[in-house]
Amino acid sequence: MDTRIQSVKSKAVQEFNQSESLEELQQLRVKYLGKKGEVTQLLRTMGQIPAEERPKVGQMVNQLKNELAVIYEEKYAELESKIQQSRLAAEAIDITLPGRKPKAGSLHPLTLVLNEIKQIFISMGYQVVEGPEIETDYYNFEALNIPKDHPARDMQDTFYISGDYLLRSQTSPVQIRVMEKQEPPVRIIAPGKVYRSDADVTHSPMFHQVEGLLIDEGITFADLKGTLQVFARAMFGPDTKTRFRPSYFPFTEPSAEVDVSCIMCRGEGCRVCSDTGWLEILGSGMVDPRVLEHVGYDPDKYTGFAFGMGIERIAMLKYGINDIRLFFNNDQRFLDQFK
Amino acid sequence: MKVSYRWLQEYTAIPWSPEELADKLTMVGLEVESISRLGPDLAGVRVGRVEKVEPHPNADLSVCQINVGDQVLNIVCGAPNVRVGIKVPVALEGAVLPNGMEIKAVELRGVMSYGMACSEKELGIGDDDSGLLELPDDVEIGMELTEALGLDDQILDVSIYANRPDCMSMLGIAREIAALAGEKLHYPQITVKESDLKIEDLTSVAVEDPDKCPRYSVRIIRNVTLQPSPLWMQQRLLAAGMRPINNIVDITNFVMLETGQPLHAFDYDRLSENRIVVRTPKSNEIKFVTLDGVERELDREMLMICDAEAPVCVGGVMGGQNSEVTEDTKTILLESANFAAASIRRTARSLAISSEAAARFEKGIDPNATIFALNRAAQLMAELAGGEVVQGIIDVNNADISERVLHLRPQQVNRLLGTDIDEQSMVDILNRLELKVDHSSKPWKVTVPSFRRDLELECDLIEEIGRFWGYEKIPTTLPKGMSGAGGETRELAVVDQIKEQLLGAGLSEIMTFSFVNPKSLTQSKLDPLPIFAQPIALANPITEDHAVMRTTLMPSMLECAAYNISRQQHNLSLFEVSAVYLADELPLTKLPSEQRRLAVLLYGNRNKAQWNWQTEQYDFYDLKGLVELVLDNFAADYQWERSELPIFHPGRQVQVLIGEKPIAYLGEVHPDVQKNYRIPERIYLAEINLAELLKYERPVTKFQSLPRYPAVDRDLAVIVSEEVPVGALVEELKQAGGSLLQTIDIFDVYQGKQVEPGKKSIAFSFVFQADRTLTDEEVNDLLKRMYEAVQQKFGAVLR
Repeated sequence: MDTRIQSVKSKAVQEFNQSESLEELQQLRVKYLGKKGEVTQLLRTMGQIPAEERPKVGQMVNQLKNELAVIYEEKYAELESKIQQSRLAAEAIDITLPGRKPKAGSLHPLTLVLNEIKQIFISMGYQVVEGPEIETDYYNFEALNIPKDHPARDMQDTFYISGDYLLRSQTSPVQIRVMEKQEPPVRIIAPGKVYRSDADVTHSPMFHQVEGLLIDEGITFADLKGTLQVFARAMFGPDTKTRFRPSYFPFTEPSAEVDVSCIMCRGEGCRVCSDTGWLEILGSGMVDPRVLEHVGYDPDKYTGFAFGMGIERIAMLKYGINDIRLFFNNDQRFLDQFK
Repeated sequence: MKVSYRWLQEYTAIPWSPEELADKLTMVGLEVESISRLGPDLAGVRVGRVEKVEPHPNADLSVCQINVGDQVLNIVCGAPNVRVGIKVPVALEGAVLPNGMEIKAVELRGVMSYGMACSEKELGIGDDDSGLLELPDDVEIGMELTEALGLDDQILDVSIYANRPDCMSMLGIAREIAALAGEKLHYPQITVKESDLKIEDLTSVAVEDPDKCPRYSVRIIRNVTLQPSPLWMQQRLLAAGMRPINNIVDITNFVMLETGQPLHAFDYDRLSENRIVVRTPKSNEIKFVTLDGVERELDREMLMICDAEAPVCVGGVMGGQNSEVTEDTKTILLESANFAAASIRRTARSLAISSEAAARFEKGIDPNATIFALNRAAQLMAELAGGEVVQGIIDVNNADISERVLHLRPQQVNRLLGTDIDEQSMVDILNRLELKVDHSSKPWKVTVPSFRRDLELECDLIEEIGRFWGYEKIPTTLPKGMSGAGGETRELAVVDQIKEQLLGAGLSEIMTFSFVNPKSLTQSKLDPLPIFAQPIALANPITEDHAVMRTTLMPSMLECAAYNISRQQHNLSLFEVSAVYLADELPLTKLPSEQRRLAVLLYGNRNKAQWNWQTEQYDFYDLKGLVELVLDNFAADYQWERSELPIFHPGRQVQVLIGEKPIAYLGEVHPDVQKNYRIPERIYLAEINLAELLKYERPVTKFQSLPRYPAVDRDLAVIVSEEVPVGALVEELKQAGGSLLQTIDIFDVYQGKQVEPGKKSIAFSFVFQADRTLTDEEVNDLLKRMYEAVQQKFGAVLR
């Protein structure tokens, strides 16, 4: 009996070890450990051996059964892992093929620049407001200290509609509308479309401006300089220098044109800045007391400053765009560059 | 204004180089746009005098002897105007002309030529190539031409702001420089020797319209000799970009450049009755020939200078041919007048004349300046034209020329500028600008000279102090006292958010013009609709393409699509947020409503064709989905209804209503419109009235606890007649499903095999959910009731 057990064992161990597939292994399990399997058969022959040997033989057979079960499990795990490895190896893909990328939209470059400007001024406590694009002569000119036949009207070629109605030539009328409705302090910026009868590579009959206005007690020209310097550094980089030059706007006095050190050459002089090292980006000044009086503010109590800038000009400088018309042609190949 | 550096030096000492001066002027508000050398480099070109001219033996040329100072050169010349005695520029051997030509000794048809006599064009200083440039008589033989003509001068191109007509003159700019440098300003010394003859005996002036002509001053100069101006005056005019003509005309231009006061010289003998009447034209005087030879059409408002009979000059704008100074002129009637700025601007505009005189008058110049300029010119006419100045001036003066006295509080200067400028510096600056300051008591009294009509208020004086103190010396500070947190209006914030959503959905934002061609409404078949039909027209559009303010964004979207398609961009998904302009009535009697709209356009494929990704064409439902995405931002009740806009395919369009009010139109564009815009494939377009939607709040976000019990899924497929809208089925199913029904999705709509013609199969999938575990039976019961509901109402049968 002992020999029989040994021979079954050695045969089974060998066969288990040699099996190469899960199916084969499964068949071997049935062959040895199944209900009619060889190990089970050994137990059935127990009756033929002497009774006193039966416990010992029974123990040996059970031990064999357990040993084979362990071998089976191990072999099974080994085969399974081999199969998985070869499947994974076969499943390798070409990782150089392009991904399935969702279509990316884009905001218009003027929106991107405006958003930047808005964020800078919002962080300085300004409210963003809007005003109408079709305006009256009063708001666009008269209230801004530009009476009829004032030479400053020549500075802007205005589109007229009929009677006193026109397309605003600047965002400055929003200053008046805000001040009429609100008591100081006032801290606003007003972005929007403006219109002038002018069309070439750097002029568009429709373009965008951002107007700024701050009115409070004790506001000085030095505050104007400081505010616009903060803006210029936030917009064009921390090393940006600013330069304030005397200028003329009918609704500010004193007035200043604001230059920033050229963002292309950092002030060295290049084609973009016509070798001056400076780029003109803003008009500004202290609000003229006549404008304050127009809206019923007391100019002896309140002072303030106003400024205005063209968004297209800043976008053209920032992105190196050389033709203003590109903004309004909306060529997909242009828009795609601002993703 | 072109300003000669050398000429400026006659009026004040300039301690700076031209480049430094340009910087200084720019920083004081006289922006120098460019600095350029007056003439090209002409080293080796000298003044020569033609001593002898003989014909060339072998050619149709002349052989000349030209004295160039240290030698007499034999030079072959082909110019028709060469003759003995004239002075001409001579390029010596080795000189290189601006056109690159190097001068060498050459043999020309058997005769040696040692240099070249030059024309204006060859020297690069003018366009005339008809002959040699004849130099004025008083230039010195042998002098370098550059020096003789002052071509080595530096010219500053200064841009003058509209409020500073006083700076449209050499003296005005020199005044600012003198104030900057702390130097003296030297006015020209004027002495006029008058004859015994009295002006009142020779002429008279009647000003019939003193509002348009506040001052008219006249002198008469007799027995003038017309000839070229001396070199120095020609140099001055050339430096300022004006062409010398003859001594009389040149003097009027010179004095205008020097003082800023335009002058006009009439031929006294050509004036009927030798007198002047200043008036507007009569109805039979509307045709007038100006001295440039152009016949102008006048209107009755234009101020004319007339003689006893007819107009002879468009006052302050341009003279007339009929009174122009000619070679035969003997007696000059010299006008130095002041005209109302508004009238000059209007006249110059409507006649489309931009003259140096009008450019000054239309900015409003000093009425006090007429006499000074008149005397300066009279003096020069006596000196340079041998004229005899008649005794006296006729001066019709209705101008208000009282001096202006302004109050100035010195503490207000520092309060407004944020500086601590001392009082003495303030007084110094004002004095240097010729403003007298009485600082014996506060506020100070500042007397403003009449040439600074721009100084009207205290703040104007503060600006002057700021300018000359130096803006760069003003400190930089930040405003004290924050007025709270900044932010956007709610509308702008929501618009920004919707833009971000559309960006995430793969759309590109565009910006198109607010003005359109009125034909765009016809082109897009929107014109029959009264809501679009009344665009506001511009009075002065640049082109017909930008003639009216748009009432809808849709045509602009189609145009943009067409633009891109013609540039091989075949897949487009675009949006724009912009206003449309809606008038209640035309012409406008109040501001129109500016309504913010959102337009969306889809064309071509949803994605690029890729190896693992089938391209799919956009369809109506892509567009509808985007509109739904936008609408989800607002808590409003929407209805979707069929619409009938001719811009769209009649069967593929829909409008969204809130109550009775349409707030969006969308659809597939009608093939006719598609054809009008040359768009080859189907294109989808939506316009949403954002302004109206923005009246609604965002849907309120309120947390609902997550279900604790499992949901139950069920599907149902039914067949109905193809006319039944799926939306109606959904409504009915929702009703029948009640509160247990969580969601309905439509996962299939099918017509074809196995479905009878005229019918369609629709497959729904439902999710049921309750605050307990639902049993199979109750869900099956509910599903049955839902089915029965659509069976009854729409004749639906189970598939």
